[in-house]
Amino acid sequence: MSKLILRGVSKAYGATVALSHGDLALEAGEVHVLIGSNGSGKSTLCKIAAGSVRPDAGEMLIDGSAVAISGPQVARAHGIGIFYQELSLAARRTVEENIFINDLPLKAGLFIDRKALAERAARYIALFDGVAGEGFSADATVESLRADQRQLVEIMKTLATEAPILIFDEPTSALDRAQVDRFFEILRRLKEEGRAMVFISHRMDEIFAIGDRVTVIRDGRTVASMPVAETDPAAIIRLMVGGQEELAAPASPHAVPDAAPDAAPAGGETALAVSGISGPGFADVGFELKRGEILGFGGLHGQGQSAVLRALFGAVPIASGTVSLRGAPVRASNPAQAIAQGFAYVSGDRRRDGIVTGRPILENVVPIHYLRQRLKLARPARLREAAKPAMEAMKTRFAGFSHPVDSLSGGNQQKVVIARWLIDRPDILLLDDPTKGIDLSAKADLFALIRRLAAEGMAIILYSSEDAELLANADRILVFNGGRTVRELRGDERTRYNLYQAAYEAA
Amino acid sequence: MSSLPAFLRQPLFVALVLIAVLLALGEGLSPGFASPQQILRLLIVAALLGIAAAGQNLVILGGREGIDLSVGGIVSLSAIIAGNLMNGADSGIPAAIAGCIAAGAFFGLINGLGVTLLRIPPLVMTLGMLGVLQGLLVVIRQGIPSGRAAPSLSQFVTQPFLFGLPGIIWLWLGVGLLMAFLLHRTVFGHRIYAIGSNEQAARMAGVPAARVRVLLFVLSGAFAAIAGICLIGYSGSSFANVGEQYMLPSIIAVVFGGTSLAGGKGGYTGTMAGAVMLVVLQSILTTVNIEESGRQMIFGATLLVLMLFYGRGRAMRA
Amino acid sequence: MENAMSTSQGHGQATASRAGGVRRLIARYPFLPALAIALALLALNGLYQPRSVSLIGLTGLTKTYMALMLLAIAQTYVVYAGDIDLSVGAIVSLVNVVLVVLMDRWGGGAGSILVAMAAGLAVGVACGLINGLVVAALRLQAIVATFATSIFFTGLALWVLPVAGLPAPAAFWRTYGGRFLDVPFVFYAVVVLAVLLYLMARLRLTTQLLAVGDDAQSAYQSGLPVTAVRIKGYALCGVFCALAAFCITGDTASGDPLVGGKMTLYSVAAVVLGGAALSGGFGTVVGSVFGALIIGLINSLVYFVGTPSEWQNLVQGLAILVALMVGVLVGRREGR
Repeated sequence: MSKLILRGVSKAYGATVALSHGDLALEAGEVHVLIGSNGSGKSTLCKIAAGSVRPDAGEMLIDGSAVAISGPQVARAHGIGIFYQELSLAARRTVEENIFINDLPLKAGLFIDRKALAERAARYIALFDGVAGEGFSADATVESLRADQRQLVEIMKTLATEAPILIFDEPTSALDRAQVDRFFEILRRLKEEGRAMVFISHRMDEIFAIGDRVTVIRDGRTVASMPVAETDPAAIIRLMVGGQEELAAPASPHAVPDAAPDAAPAGGETALAVSGISGPGFADVGFELKRGEILGFGGLHGQGQSAVLRALFGAVPIASGTVSLRGAPVRASNPAQAIAQGFAYVSGDRRRDGIVTGRPILENVVPIHYLRQRLKLARPARLREAAKPAMEAMKTRFAGFSHPVDSLSGGNQQKVVIARWLIDRPDILLLDDPTKGIDLSAKADLFALIRRLAAEGMAIILYSSEDAELLANADRILVFNGGRTVRELRGDERTRYNLYQAAYEAA
Repeated sequence: MSSLPAFLRQPLFVALVLIAVLLALGEGLSPGFASPQQILRLLIVAALLGIAAAGQNLVILGGREGIDLSVGGIVSLSAIIAGNLMNGADSGIPAAIAGCIAAGAFFGLINGLGVTLLRIPPLVMTLGMLGVLQGLLVVIRQGIPSGRAAPSLSQFVTQPFLFGLPGIIWLWLGVGLLMAFLLHRTVFGHRIYAIGSNEQAARMAGVPAARVRVLLFVLSGAFAAIAGICLIGYSGSSFANVGEQYMLPSIIAVVFGGTSLAGGKGGYTGTMAGAVMLVVLQSILTTVNIEESGRQMIFGATLLVLMLFYGRGRAMRA
Repeated sequence: MENAMSTSQGHGQATASRAGGVRRLIARYPFLPALAIALALLALNGLYQPRSVSLIGLTGLTKTYMALMLLAIAQTYVVYAGDIDLSVGAIVSLVNVVLVVLMDRWGGGAGSILVAMAAGLAVGVACGLINGLVVAALRLQAIVATFATSIFFTGLALWVLPVAGLPAPAAFWRTYGGRFLDVPFVFYAVVVLAVLLYLMARLRLTTQLLAVGDDAQSAYQSGLPVTAVRIKGYALCGVFCALAAFCITGDTASGDPLVGGKMTLYSVAAVVLGGAALSGGFGTVVGSVFGALIIGLINSLVYFVGTPSEWQNLVQGLAILVALMVGVLVGRREGR
């Protein structure tokens, strides 16, 4: 009998379907890998099991009997512990308080038993002895910890539930090798104890290192489930991408590499020169970018690629180094200045950095136009006229400019964000993982546009967390590791193998 | 609720219906309550609150816990300055208007700079400013004899001015048009909504968030000052802390108008209806013959019930 | 996080770590800036009026500001969870009149005083529970909802006692203003309060409130009963409002249905002065006590330095504004 079964679970937020048909059968004594691209519904499925998201439909069985999980407390009572991808820590509480925040040991029924708390927490902290890193202690506040250390606290907190069912939603994304190894040792031990575990990761090697079974989710639907031993990475990727693979990842890089300089109309005039810049999250980064060129930023997630792009855009301070535009040194201390200098920036985190939620589509397309044209009045008719070509260039599907931007699908929201830069064109376009969580056809539209813009002479930097996108679209790739550029891949060097090798080299 | 057509769920519509219900109730309790003269009188009182709430509305729309507790203090200060500058003579009106608005804008500017440059939470900054303004009132009151409103001003506020409506009603309508224009037809207005809805995204789209926010507080001070001038026109002379009654009611009017305290959502038309609703409610309670204690209990409880019609917080489990 | 990539050289690091040390100290004891400001103000008070730091002077100060200290504590417990209570002043008024009326009706003896105090405490808790239900369970905005309840509570207070002036029994205020074994009663109260606060800092509820204020969604996902915790915070606030009302009654020796009205905003100011974040998750009740003392000491200092009477309010207002700004700036942590 399966330990936990989820059957036909669904969840929609308004018009956006987060999960249309989620199935999962979790056995005791296994590590069950859940895999799917960003936004495919993995996290939603996990949160439904953990009680923090209310499902619209579907059933859930534990040890064969149907259960109704009406909240996180109920899920805990049913023996489900969860590691939240976005973490569920109180930043200003200590490590030990966070580990047991839901189960603080008591004295006299009212007071926290500090001694018992310290003893119990020490057991879980000890699990990561030697790999937790500097500054990690039981009485340190979570806000004083590094990203990887916070992730360890969330892991300890999950383990401390001692629940028979443990769900880990991307627990290793910020961890280093040694920490991951330790974590896997723990998982193997728990497996022997007979615990049932769900494990989500985007690192294929991890999945094959620890997983017993893998379930693939695509576009909110469980599409396959099989033993890990009976499959291979290529097969899993095919399942994740479905029949539309050729749309997202053209087999060969497009035909404008260094060999064909005439493709860039301005003949390779240097648009941007960056030398030795350092700041929070990156150090000593330097490169040149020519007009008409698409420069790729590669490497594992969170190695400073985003930070550099945000720094160029004035959203993150640059501590040292120089940035020059067409030979003249510039320094932007806020995005408005960077925009005036000719920079454009598109973030993959569109809900945080992109769309102004709740406002009409029109207001979301024109802010750059306001700034560049120094407008004071907002005349809707004229603005619509200005915005229309940009929206058409992006092939944006929308019912009307006055509809709220939230009514659009994720891909179309991102198109609106990109369209705002097309009314008054920038010289340099910074793309910070722009296709995160958007559908494949929108991705295809986006990359077609990017190539066209480059062909028209725009200088573009593309950071993508999907290597296929990078390999297919970048003329040149700078690989980041630990905040530094470790390798440049040109021409024929742009292979997946070289990219992986540079990314995984010890920092 | 959710099955109702969209326009029926509009805060403005809700407010208008509630106003009608309250007026009918008032008429039932005390015949003559909803007579044209009475309604006109209520509108004058509502206009005072509504004008003071205009600036409050802007600050709240700008988000990041935007709130201006110093509105009441500025109303009081402005009433006193206006009284002193006019001292019962029409010739003093221009100086009074200029002086009051300048003073209101000045204190608003200090609020705005504290909130943006020093990043003091608006509640704290404007609370501290309120204390300063109250102290300033004492100084001014002791130093100079309390002035009186100019006859023309009183007439403007209380007597028919155009088409049988007092000037202040026209002024309020003007403020309403100005606010609608500002919020919906200017770049500044769109930027207010942008920083109120998602400041991070707005900044990434080049919106000068700090400059916009400072301006919101300046405008709040200026609108409160205008309300103060009108207030002395209404009451004839200023008395201690006349403006205090506007501090929290200005926030309530904004909330009853459907503007979210979280920012970025709402507008001024609703706030106007909210101000009328609040004034009608208060007026009903003074009409019925009950003890002050009962009146206050009913008022407080009614406010709570009415709040249930508006934006309640998000549930933890979505 | 803030030192992710340090490229500066030795000198910069040395100053940074010294500043970091102070910052760590403040992070650990958020009330330190408030304590420093309070001590400086006390010294200044002593400088301009030596008698103010004598036993009598300090007794008077404590007696007068005890109520505000308790009210600041009350406010702190809701601010912990990221809420606010604008009805604390009204609750004080209500408890004050309930207490005085009941003591008067039951004859003013020791027994009646104790029973009336128990009733007052119950009223405080009830008011807190109402606030908690309205804000946490009905999910209304704390600022406007507690303003509405404050009007309601004021109405109740006016119903209990329509006009100010009913005297409290002598036994009550004589005790509050009196001495035991040559030590003023308020000092015993301070000691009891200190022990109480020490114990309460160790309450599980305190940590839960702070966790909710830190990030309510995270707390909920961790399995904390967020709504119940917030309601308990308001109830606790009601308890300390009642205690504040006892002190006010001892100090003014009479019932007044509007006595607490002005204190609400001061309680908020005291909490901020004490180093707590209004957004929740950070602060100490001890800091808030010092915050209340700062307000009291500013008021007395302005008087002692000989400010002309009409200027006193302005100077007090300015000083409190400056102190609020300094408090917020000093208490600010990196990256926020």
